[in-house]
Amino acid sequence: MNFSFLHFFHFNYTFQWGVAFAHLPELLQGAVVTLELGLLTFWGGALIGLLGASLKTFGGPFLRRVADVYVVFFTNTPALIQIYFLLYGLGDIGILWDPFTCTLIGLTLNAGAYLTEIMRAGFISVHRTEMEAAETLGMSVWQRIRFVIVPHIAKVIYPALANFFIVILVMGTSVGAIVGVDELTGQAINISTENYRWLEMFVVVAGIYVVLTLIASLSLALVGRWAFRVKAKVL
Amino acid sequence: MLERLAMEAPRFFAPHNLALLLEAMGMTLALTVVGCVLGFLLAFGIVFLRQTPGRLALPIRFMAIFYVEIFRRIPFLVVTYLVLFFIQAFVNNASLFAIAVIAICIYSTAYTADIIRGGFESVARQQTEAAAAMNFSRWQTLVSVIIPQSWPVILPPAVAFAVGFIKDTALVSQVGVFELTFRAKEMNNEGFSALLVFGTTALLYFAMSYPLSRWGRWLEQRLASSPSKRSQQRLRPAHRS
Repeated sequence: MNFSFLHFFHFNYTFQWGVAFAHLPELLQGAVVTLELGLLTFWGGALIGLLGASLKTFGGPFLRRVADVYVVFFTNTPALIQIYFLLYGLGDIGILWDPFTCTLIGLTLNAGAYLTEIMRAGFISVHRTEMEAAETLGMSVWQRIRFVIVPHIAKVIYPALANFFIVILVMGTSVGAIVGVDELTGQAINISTENYRWLEMFVVVAGIYVVLTLIASLSLALVGRWAFRVKAKVL
Repeated sequence: MLERLAMEAPRFFAPHNLALLLEAMGMTLALTVVGCVLGFLLAFGIVFLRQTPGRLALPIRFMAIFYVEIFRRIPFLVVTYLVLFFIQAFVNNASLFAIAVIAICIYSTAYTADIIRGGFESVARQQTEAAAAMNFSRWQTLVSVIIPQSWPVILPPAVAFAVGFIKDTALVSQVGVFELTFRAKEMNNEGFSALLVFGTTALLYFAMSYPLSRWGRWLEQRLASSPSKRSQQRLRPAHRS
C-alpha cells in the first residue's frame, strides 16, 4: 500500500496549554474590553435604530428615503470595510481617530442599520386602534412614542434584541482585533505574536467567548422574563 | 484632497487594476458559495443526527447540539484563526483557499442547522406519524415527506444567510486569501488613497450583496405563495396552524 499521502501530514505538534492559561489575566482584560465595546455598540445602535425606525414609520417621504438609504447601505457592506474607511480613509483627509473610536463608530453605525429594521418590525406590530386611542386622548407624537409604542414594542422585539446583542458580542466586536483594538481576540493576537502558541491561545479564547456569551444570554433571558415577561431562549 | 483623488483616479480605474478587483470579487463569491453550499449539506447531516431517536443515540444528539451551540458563540475571526493554525500544525502546504472554505463551512453549518431544524419542525407532526404508520424508514420520511414540505420554509432564510455571509468573508482576508478586502488593503499599501480604495470596495461589496438580497426577498415572497405551500396548508386541519 502506498502511504505517500502521509507526507502531507506531520504529527509532531506538541500542545502547551500551560502557556495559554498563564496569560488568562490578560485575556480576561480583553474580555472586559469586548463587553464594553459590545454594550456601547448596542446602546448606540439602539438609539440610532430607534431614530431610524421612527423616521421610517412617521417621517415624511424625504426622511423615510434617508433612513432607507442608510439601512440599505450599511447592511450591504462589511463592517470591516466601514471601519477601514473610518480609520484610513478619514485619516487621509486629516481626521485621525484611534482604532477603538473607529471600531466603536463603525460598529455602532452598522448595528444601527440592523436595529432600525428590528425596531421597525416592532413599530409595525403596534395596532392601528392603539394609535387611534392614543390620538383620541390628545397625545402628541412624542407622547405616543413614549407611552404607547415603546412599552408595546419592548415586549415584541425583546427576543430579537437579545439575540442581536449576542451577535454583536460574537461577530461584531472581534472585528476590532484586525485594526488593533485590544479586545479579546486582539489580546490573543498580541500574545500569540510573542510566544507563537496561536493554536492554544485561540482555543482558550474560543472557550472564553462561549462562557461570555452564555452568561450574556442567561442574564438577558432573566431580565426579559423579569421586565417584559418574555420567554427568551437561552440556548 | 480632491486633487489627489482626481490625480489617482485614472490610475486606480485603469483596466488592469479593475481586472484585479473583479478577480477578487470572484474569489469572494466563490468562497461564499462553496463554503455555504457545503455548510448547507453538512447542516442537513447535523439535523439528521440531532433527530436520531432512541436512548442509545443520546451522545450523538448531544454532540449535534453541542456543535451548533458552540460554534454559534465563537466569532468567525476566531474560527478562521483556529482552522488556520490547526491545519498548519498538522498539514504541510495547505492551500489558503481550502482553509478559508473550511472555516466558512464550519461556521455556516452551525447557523444553517438551526434554520433547517426550524423548517423540519414546521412540518405537521401527523405527517411524520403517517409516514411511520406506512413503515417509511427515517431516510424515506426525510426525503419524501419532510424535505418536500419544508424547503419553502428553509430556502429563503438559508439564502439570506449566504448573502449576508458575502460581507463576513471580508474577515478571511486576515488569512491571506486574495479576496476583495485583501486586495483593497494591498492597493492601499501600494499608495492609493484609502478614501478611494475603501470607498470603491464598499461599493463593490454593495454591488454583490444588494441585488442578491433583493433576489432572496423575491424568492421568499414567491415561495410563500407557491403551489407546494398552498397544498401544504390545505393538507393541514384548519384549527391547527
